[in-house]
Amino acid sequence: MTMDTMFLEVLWNRLVSIVDEQAAALMQASFTTVVREAGDLSAGVFDTQGRMLAQAVTGTPGHINTMANCVQELVRTWPIEGLKPGDSLVTNDPWMCAGHLHDIIVITPVFYRGKGVGFFANTCHAMDIGGRTLGADAHEVFEEGLHLPVLKLFREFKINQDLIDIVRANVRVPDQVVGDLFAQQTANDVGASKLIEMLQEFHLDDLTELSEMILNRSESAMRDAIGNIPRGVYEDEVVIDGFDDPLKIHVKITIREKDLMVDYSGSSLQVDRGINVVYNYTHAYTTYPLKCAICPEVPNNEGSFRPVRVQAPPGTIVNAQFPSPVGARHLVGHFLSQAIFGALSKSIPEKILADGSAGLWNTQFEGYDRKDRLFVYIFFSAGGMGARSNADGLSTTAFPSGIRGVPAEAIEAVSPVIMWRRTLRCDSGGAGQYRGGLGQEMVLEIDSDRPVLHSCMYDRTRNAARGFLGGLDGAVGEIELDDGTRPHPKGKYRIQPGQKVTLRLPGGGGFYSPLQRDPSDVVKDVFHGRVSREAARTLYGVVLKGKIARLDDEETRKLRLQLQGET
Amino acid sequence: MQEKGCLSIDIGGTFTDIIFLNSESETIIARKTLTTYPDPSLGVLEGLHSLLESEKVLPSQISRSIHGTTLVTNALIERKGARTGLITTAGFRDALEIGREGRYDIYDLALQRPEPLIPRQWRFEVQERLNVRGEVLVSLDEAGVTAACKELINLGAEAVAIVFLHAYVNPMHEKQALRLVRSLMPEVSISMSHQVAAEFREYERTSTTVANAYVRPLADHYISNLEQGLKSIGIDGPLHIMLSNGGCGSSELARHFPIRLVESGPCGGALAASYWADKESADEVFAFDMGGTTAKAALTISGGFPLSVDSEVARVHRFRKGSGFPLLVPVLDMIEIGAGGGSIARLNEMGLPKVGPESAGSTPGPACYGRGGRLPTVTDADLVLGYINPDYFLGGEMQLCRRQAAEVIAELATDLGTDVERTAWGIRQLVDENMASAARVHAAERGLDIRNYHLVATGGAGPVHAVSVAQRLGITTVVVPPGAGVGSAFGLLLAPVAFDFSSTWVCRVSEIEPNQIQKLFDRMEEDGRRIVNSAGVSTDQIGISRTADMRYVGQGHTIRVPISGARFDQNTISEIPDAFNHQYRKVFGRLCDDVEMESVNWRVTVSGPRVALDKLSVEHRKDPAISVKKSSNRQVIFDVSMQPLETSVFDRFSLGQEFVSNGPVLIEESESTTVIPPGWCVSVREEGHLVLSRVENET
Repeated sequence: MTMDTMFLEVLWNRLVSIVDEQAAALMQASFTTVVREAGDLSAGVFDTQGRMLAQAVTGTPGHINTMANCVQELVRTWPIEGLKPGDSLVTNDPWMCAGHLHDIIVITPVFYRGKGVGFFANTCHAMDIGGRTLGADAHEVFEEGLHLPVLKLFREFKINQDLIDIVRANVRVPDQVVGDLFAQQTANDVGASKLIEMLQEFHLDDLTELSEMILNRSESAMRDAIGNIPRGVYEDEVVIDGFDDPLKIHVKITIREKDLMVDYSGSSLQVDRGINVVYNYTHAYTTYPLKCAICPEVPNNEGSFRPVRVQAPPGTIVNAQFPSPVGARHLVGHFLSQAIFGALSKSIPEKILADGSAGLWNTQFEGYDRKDRLFVYIFFSAGGMGARSNADGLSTTAFPSGIRGVPAEAIEAVSPVIMWRRTLRCDSGGAGQYRGGLGQEMVLEIDSDRPVLHSCMYDRTRNAARGFLGGLDGAVGEIELDDGTRPHPKGKYRIQPGQKVTLRLPGGGGFYSPLQRDPSDVVKDVFHGRVSREAARTLYGVVLKGKIARLDDEETRKLRLQLQGET
Repeated sequence: MQEKGCLSIDIGGTFTDIIFLNSESETIIARKTLTTYPDPSLGVLEGLHSLLESEKVLPSQISRSIHGTTLVTNALIERKGARTGLITTAGFRDALEIGREGRYDIYDLALQRPEPLIPRQWRFEVQERLNVRGEVLVSLDEAGVTAACKELINLGAEAVAIVFLHAYVNPMHEKQALRLVRSLMPEVSISMSHQVAAEFREYERTSTTVANAYVRPLADHYISNLEQGLKSIGIDGPLHIMLSNGGCGSSELARHFPIRLVESGPCGGALAASYWADKESADEVFAFDMGGTTAKAALTISGGFPLSVDSEVARVHRFRKGSGFPLLVPVLDMIEIGAGGGSIARLNEMGLPKVGPESAGSTPGPACYGRGGRLPTVTDADLVLGYINPDYFLGGEMQLCRRQAAEVIAELATDLGTDVERTAWGIRQLVDENMASAARVHAAERGLDIRNYHLVATGGAGPVHAVSVAQRLGITTVVVPPGAGVGSAFGLLLAPVAFDFSSTWVCRVSEIEPNQIQKLFDRMEEDGRRIVNSAGVSTDQIGISRTADMRYVGQGHTIRVPISGARFDQNTISEIPDAFNHQYRKVFGRLCDDVEMESVNWRVTVSGPRVALDKLSVEHRKDPAISVKKSSNRQVIFDVSMQPLETSVFDRFSLGQEFVSNGPVLIEESESTTVIPPGWCVSVREEGHLVLSRVENET
């Protein structure tokens, strides 16, 4: 008898709870603020062939989906038969792992009754990896820091001290970076011991049968979901800021009966700055938005990826070749979702988002505080999300990244940064029947008597988030010093003591024409300071009267008629 | 002389429970009445009146009343609070809306965030700024505060929250603003962030302070009414309110910090669980409450229930962490999952069965209720498998229909290609696995080994599922207390007077100045003594415990470390590393040598004495309807073989005190049924609780 479906579901739930325990251990033990506060990590369990069976519900797509590919590839060269209990592998190879050197994966085989039964793996953002510090301005990956090929972190329970010494010697904050490696191992150990308990409890010898069932079920659910999309070929092209020159992401999605293909031919060539995306990362940020749009309920595992093929010509910005620089690869990678949704808007607009600010704004400071201690501090911030076909976009919310921001007081507690202001940007959300989410504005100063290096990783400063189906674009982002100069949005510069820098994060695009927006929603937006009176009139055709904004029905009707005539 | 006693009043969504405890004889009398709306205090007074009357209790016998209420939680969920304004640091009025910039579900494109309790136009900014050390960067602009007040007066504000950045380190600007606001708006209630939640993270602190301000007028009104009502019937003793930390405080405190009442409901249940586990000399307790819609679980650490400091209220998605308003108040660390008797079983996209979190609730309820429910639920499965007696649900008040349960399960069974019994069995396995998984992850996050715990089962469905959950977790002892229906009200009687304080001071251990920390403690303890004193605890009975949230420098999460001694000096500091390492190793298994530690929050709990009820025995009220029904037999399915076993069924209140039996056995009472499967044995204790243990050498 094959495993009955009830039993399968019980075991599947158990596996998910095990990877949640694994992730909990990692978040608890991690040294890195972005891991703990921002959830910049992933954790998962794999079968002996390296196929991902379950992932923790926390985590970001860039990590989860790249981890899935990474383990599978790694297992080909490091089969479980060649590993021993107590062994553990580590790498940060951008082409194999999560697309830049800062993401380190630790992979641990699990043995039960003398036989290898699977792997636990997790990826975690390292606070530092040496080199030029995290940024977009390198010309080759060699400048970006320490590159670890696949190495043993532990050999039969014994730490690879040589490796640890090399890491310590190469990074600016060795305690944190090495501490995180241990945290990552701890998390895998927790997963492994729980998996063994599960095998014992349910009298299983290994995961073979369970694995087949989980993956096949997920695969067929994904195929069914694809079957619900009208067949056809849908294309889109997104233009993004690039480093100096704008870049194109061209996508062609071919929907067939039970599978689909995504082809990035026609996208820009790779560049000599650190915004190149490796294939693995492209794959991750392609499958993620597809899943959100097509079948959010289907668990994320190797099976659910099977019906999706991703093609990206080597040498393009979405399949950059070694040794191109990749440090700030998310600045391009996060925009793939925009092209995917843009293409799908031609077929299933009710299931997707208009363009959003997409790329996280990463701000990194490096320098010496007033006690002459070296500090490196990075935090992530989000602009607005794109509008939905039936609801406004969310303001200051990260998408497609799954991470969280950090409160000003938490930033100030651990770094000499002073945040003077953090407000929503009025009128930054693209107008539409459903408005794009708002970006935010923040003003920062460094509390140090020496200049501090500010590394900028900001996008959508030239190319706005597009509105969909008549919706208008969101506002572009800006960076400005108090003397009016505008630093390069992907460069590094020294911020002087007493100087303030203002960041204005982009807003999301709107959905459908703003002239169709319910006037009372426009009034509400004006009341809440999300939309100015001026924009209400010129973009939405809504006229307000009185000090406390009230709707002028008659004037609004007239103005909307007139504006409709003009378009 | 009249004997003295204590009163406990627990108001839930449907029922209000009132218990009178006679402190001398240690007997308790319970009353259940329907909760009245919109003013629940009416129902309380009515029920109280009838209890005093029929049981011949004189109001003067009641020396103290303890009250638990869901009022604050409900006001936040239903948004029925006061018109509230915010005065905050220039540049930060949007903190409430910007939030933490994340998504609580990474695959759901349709997700919504909760609308802030205060609209933007009601949030005013004034010039002022402190740095992280509490030093003034910009002095408070008093004219700005005055201008904000004028606007708020025009708007008709009933409450004001004052939140300035880093006020948790130095409250001077908040206090300065308070004086101005109070003089200009003498009628409004004011909440200041350094008092409500003296911890860093402006979004969370603002959210907490605003929520407090928002519910304060309502709580004030309600608690005053109840107090007056009690007085009017001659009950002069103090009124204490159950707090979310598992302790209780004076009514005055509750009126000032009503946000401390949020989620206090389940605390009573947890305290009661602890009480019964103590009777079994349990070291650690797993309080497990399973009702109609949800299951709640709490785990002790070193014998006490730990507090969580990042709780939430009014979630947009009930079981999605991150979808509500964050609160920096100490809340009994508890998990709630969508698993109850009413949880619905269905197939998901992959043709796999799922149970919950959707629930049939009480209307229409499970299919077997015969009220139109057409979806199979956990209760339907329990009925089909033979665990529940269709003729004795709620003591026979409600007739269950097995046929209807079987019908709806049959539909699911057809989709699964199997039979009704196997499907019912699967539903039960799944819900139990869900609950066990949640408990397992919860334990893992805290580094606890749950196998040594005593599981105490309450709630209507708790005793039905307790052993199955216990087995999945490797737990070998289950306790089923008597009077599960009023367990929460009973728990209130056990709550000591207790209040928690916290104060953020981020500092490396090597750089701690003892005087600085002593000052923090002094300030918190002085406030604490006053609060606990005012709740009637004499000075010599006050206990103080100090802890610190510590971490390795640069690490995100903190570990709670006990701080010993009355004086904080170099000696205390020298003890911190060992204490930290001990806790750290417990949770993570290994240490990180060479990395320095730092403090984040310093905490103080000031409490009154523990409530001791040593001889208490709960009266077994024989329901006349039960006495006619002696023990009987039923066919019950206990394992995957699907072979029904002939199972003895007993009425709980007809069991003698020497009763011991091996499973399979069912023990019925009006509120629940205790399931003892093969391989387990049950015995009745003198105090009235049941103890279920796994039989050794199980074959």
